[in-house]
Amino acid sequence: MQEFFQLPVFGVLISISAYMGAEKLQKKFNYPFFNPVLIAILFIIGFLLVFNIDFETYNRGGKYISFFLGPSIVALGVFFYEKYEEVKQNLKVFLITVFIGGISGVLSVVLILYLLQAPDFLIKSLAAKSVTTPIAIEISRLIEGVPEVTAGVVLAAGVFGNAFGPFLLKKLGIKSKIAIGTALGTTSHGIGTARAFEEGKLPGVYSGLAMCVNGIITALITPYLLELFL
Amino acid sequence: MLKSLVYIFGFLFLGETITYFFEMPITGNILGMILIFLALRFKIIKLKDVKPASDKLMKYLILFFIPYGVGLMTHFDIIANYWVPISVAIIASTAFALYVTAIIMEKFGK
Repeated sequence: MQEFFQLPVFGVLISISAYMGAEKLQKKFNYPFFNPVLIAILFIIGFLLVFNIDFETYNRGGKYISFFLGPSIVALGVFFYEKYEEVKQNLKVFLITVFIGGISGVLSVVLILYLLQAPDFLIKSLAAKSVTTPIAIEISRLIEGVPEVTAGVVLAAGVFGNAFGPFLLKKLGIKSKIAIGTALGTTSHGIGTARAFEEGKLPGVYSGLAMCVNGIITALITPYLLELFL
Repeated sequence: MLKSLVYIFGFLFLGETITYFFEMPITGNILGMILIFLALRFKIIKLKDVKPASDKLMKYLILFFIPYGVGLMTHFDIIANYWVPISVAIIASTAFALYVTAIIMEKFGK
């Protein structure tokens, strides 16, 4: 039976079908914690545990899916070009804001873990938690974190922003929808951006662009910021 | 569609090649993203030539990282040992960065 699951088609099929099923569930219930990626991952992990299948066995097919992360990052550049006209009037302010927001995200998580005396590998794995997963994984690999742990915390930061971000910001007195969108994209990447689009099209665009910009900023500064602490 | 895939993979390849030959603090795919933006901005390539593939890739972006998420199962020990600092750090840092970003944008944005 184990040999059967070693066929790459198993890993590919279960990834795609779990994601499709989770998306259908989300459309039905539309609840923040019903994040399709989260559900799909938990389902697959459960399936592998029940049938006693190794992650390596699953990943013989899974790696064909994750291969597409590389070209997807390039596609983010195209998305940015297409949309940046829409933020042109705010471009300077927007770039500076995302820059400061991005640095606050990295610095604060590193500082908190440092104060909690977390081990170095954990700090390296969590440093890029605010940016979109494909970029976060690359950063984690570059600074010698654990990419799988990074994937998990990125998801957590996204779900937190998606579920509580707008509520929290409105409680703290933020009124501008554009500000809420920018904040969601800067801290909670694609999952936050999905929430920003629920606030309106413009906040969604700001959020998507903030996700791209912060991906680049975090990729450039994280290795240097970490040198200050580790 | 085929042409746009050639462009996307071409820029990815270009980024990977440059970072392979020169020591850089950045990965090939992120460099590819910056280069394709610049190529569009300076009209070296046309948006319509890359859009079909890039739209599809963006649409399924989150599907592609499912295998990494599943990989978390090989690190259960890390989560079990450090779930407290991990949760504190994610929640506090995300809330802090959300507020910093939003307040600056609200004050200075139009």
